[in-house]
Amino acid sequence: MTRDNEQTRQHQTTFTRREFLKGVGVGGGALVLFGQFGIHSAAWALSGEPTLKMVVVDYNKCTGCRTCEAACSSRNRPAAVAGKALPGLGNPYFANIKVHNFNPDVDVPNVCAMCADTPCAKACPVEPDAKTGRRAFYRDDVTHTMHNDANRCIGCGSCAKACAAQRTGVIRPNPETGKPERMCTLCGGDPQCAKRCPFGALSYVEVRRDRKFYGLGPEKIAAELARNWYGTATLGGVK
Amino acid sequence: MSGKPGYHGRILEIDLTSGKSRTVAVPPEDLDKFVGGQGLGMKLLWDRLKKPGVDALSPENPLMFIPGPFSGLPVPSSSRTCVVTKSPITAPLKSDHRHASTVTYSNMGGFFGPEIRFAGYDGLVVTGKARELSYIVIDNDKVTIRDARKFKGMRTDAFDKAFLEELGDRNYKTVYIGPAGENLVPYSSIIHTAGRAAGRGGSGCVMGSKNLKAIAVKGSGQPGVADHERFLAALEKARRALYGTTYAKSWAEQGTARAIVGNSNAGTESVRNYREGTFTEADKIGGDAARRDVWVRDFACYCCPLACKKSGVTKGKYGGVVHDGPEYETGVMLGSNLMISDMPGLLRAIYNIDDLGLDQISTGNVIGFLMEAYEKGMIDRKFLDGIDLTWGSVDATLAMIEKIAAKEGVGALAAQGVANLSRHIGQGSEKFAIHVKGLELAAHNIQGNQPRALSYVTASRGACHMSGDDIAMQNRRAMLDSTGMCFFPTFEPALEEPMLELLSAITGHEYDKAEFEKAGERIFNLEKMFNYREGFRRGDDKLPDRFFEDAFTIGAKKGAVLDRKKFQDMLTTYYQDRGWDPTTTKPGEAKLKELGLEFV
Repeated sequence: MTRDNEQTRQHQTTFTRREFLKGVGVGGGALVLFGQFGIHSAAWALSGEPTLKMVVVDYNKCTGCRTCEAACSSRNRPAAVAGKALPGLGNPYFANIKVHNFNPDVDVPNVCAMCADTPCAKACPVEPDAKTGRRAFYRDDVTHTMHNDANRCIGCGSCAKACAAQRTGVIRPNPETGKPERMCTLCGGDPQCAKRCPFGALSYVEVRRDRKFYGLGPEKIAAELARNWYGTATLGGVK
Repeated sequence: MSGKPGYHGRILEIDLTSGKSRTVAVPPEDLDKFVGGQGLGMKLLWDRLKKPGVDALSPENPLMFIPGPFSGLPVPSSSRTCVVTKSPITAPLKSDHRHASTVTYSNMGGFFGPEIRFAGYDGLVVTGKARELSYIVIDNDKVTIRDARKFKGMRTDAFDKAFLEELGDRNYKTVYIGPAGENLVPYSSIIHTAGRAAGRGGSGCVMGSKNLKAIAVKGSGQPGVADHERFLAALEKARRALYGTTYAKSWAEQGTARAIVGNSNAGTESVRNYREGTFTEADKIGGDAARRDVWVRDFACYCCPLACKKSGVTKGKYGGVVHDGPEYETGVMLGSNLMISDMPGLLRAIYNIDDLGLDQISTGNVIGFLMEAYEKGMIDRKFLDGIDLTWGSVDATLAMIEKIAAKEGVGALAAQGVANLSRHIGQGSEKFAIHVKGLELAAHNIQGNQPRALSYVTASRGACHMSGDDIAMQNRRAMLDSTGMCFFPTFEPALEEPMLELLSAITGHEYDKAEFEKAGERIFNLEKMFNYREGFRRGDDKLPDRFFEDAFTIGAKKGAVLDRKKFQDMLTTYYQDRGWDPTTTKPGEAKLKELGLEFV
């Protein structure tokens, strides 16, 4: 039974990769979603449940221009100018979305997949708060965005390691404090990456809350895309 | 932020002889007057080379990578880096200085320029010469020079991958040379992302002369701007001017390749070594054919909404490589100009040239010249090391490309460019050796296009099709290539106002159209003074006889040929309008003073 399940899952994963990497795909681990349910439109809501929305990537449309990084940074890293908080100048270093460029030409925007089972939060070793039940690294149950309580965070990097090992690897420990960064905030319901993408490669769509993930980092996605587009799996850069 | 807004106010200087690096402050008035990119590069070159005749391949010649005030900010299409140095290719007819040559600049898209600014610099200046083949790694303030001997001879596509593996961090943005640059082929390029190039003018050769294989940069900073709110508002307008427009979509659809058929139809394409302006088989290598048979995906440079770069793969004898192209210049110089209409063969030639680190334009031009000399019986198969270099032959072209990059046999001669080749071959071959000042012409033919002929002969780096067809255009482009913005979006009239607004908001210097052109004029005149000091005179602003003698025999401009008198009259008017002496082409005192160039 277990074995059967495993085979089914593998089949679904393969199926999904083929289907999605040719057409519409979704950010990181959420890739499996549509294939599993056999639905190829990019949006739906489950009746009776409040909708959950997230950022979804169409790899066929992404040109690797990184405007999403600048737009994300501008919103999530505001600037203090003469006492006013204004959108920042868009330094991509502070963006929560990161476009990975490969040779041959493949670009993979990587953004928090808001995994339903939150391996990142589960890896947090900080004792859950008695009142909220939250560890230092936790999920917002309404938006499903991931957050870090910097006051309680010990900077151990466990969340980032779990994300890198099991999912997209988007979480980056701050080089100085070790505290996690790059969790998507959804920009308060108006994701700037999707809004500013000149090519319509990013969209903000409704998804199921109980969706399953199989964790694909940008390297694996890029290898699949290169196979599909160019018939090659030899990708340069860091493995 | 200190000093001039919009800038870090400092460049990074790396001396490969001593292995030491330091940051050097740039005077705010230099940033204000010369802006960045091509302009700031020219000013730095002027300051560093205090006398004419410095050997371009000597350690003294600085190799500079200069972004502009737009670089590192999310201004649409502001991805460009200008590589500025003294040319290893050009030469005046006569000069008192043995190594006299022009300035050269080559403008490259991608991600390198913005990353230089993220790392905290307004430019990189490399001087000296490393003892062994080396590479430079810049991580914000940390600069290291490392041994690159294990990469010796490595082609650029393989190196692009191997280098990132060695660095262990895909956030680095890299530039590098191929075997051609290591072998000091004068028209070697510098490659970025395995497909983008600072191609023209020999910057890859200068990099090779410094024993420098590659540079890697990453950073986490960003320069500030003079007026934050104004910047944000203008950015909004600039995006609106381009996003989703028919104009932007047209670039995404075919990039520059659209012109392969378009210019052939118009009779302005370089065909059969510039003998004709129309290629009857252009449709086989044009944008429609490429979109149908080759291209899989569109790619953009940093924050660019145009996505003019295309990538694809072909099958068969010449297939199996993933690369971009054809673009207009690559497709015409290796296609129409050599009468090659086999798309996979053309793409293999383009790939190999980038892979070896050669300039696509000069390489295509040189091979076209040799094909014609061979056809005319001026050289034989023995001269060509047995290569049957006939029009349209892909195999012969591929063989010649390898020889040039390796400087092997006939390649050693061909590597010296058409000016030197024709001198060697003689027999009147200089009539169809298509260069100005030693730099080969590009994919725009001119028998029926006198304004473009002006661009070629008066450009500061030798035959340059991008310089501008009249004075105002030349000034605007010299300035544009100093800002970090690409030329391609600027055909969209709606972008002009927000672009000027952005530049003003960033630098705190108010730019309107006139002020923008004035800055460009200053830059162009300083380049001219540099070239003048080296010994370039009016006689060097010269075209080969072909353009006055060989009228087109086919196409929309059939019968077109330039008229010597009209051409000279046009030049005289040009120098006068520029405020230059029409006999010597020296910029007049009044003009220099007006432009704030008294120091020359």
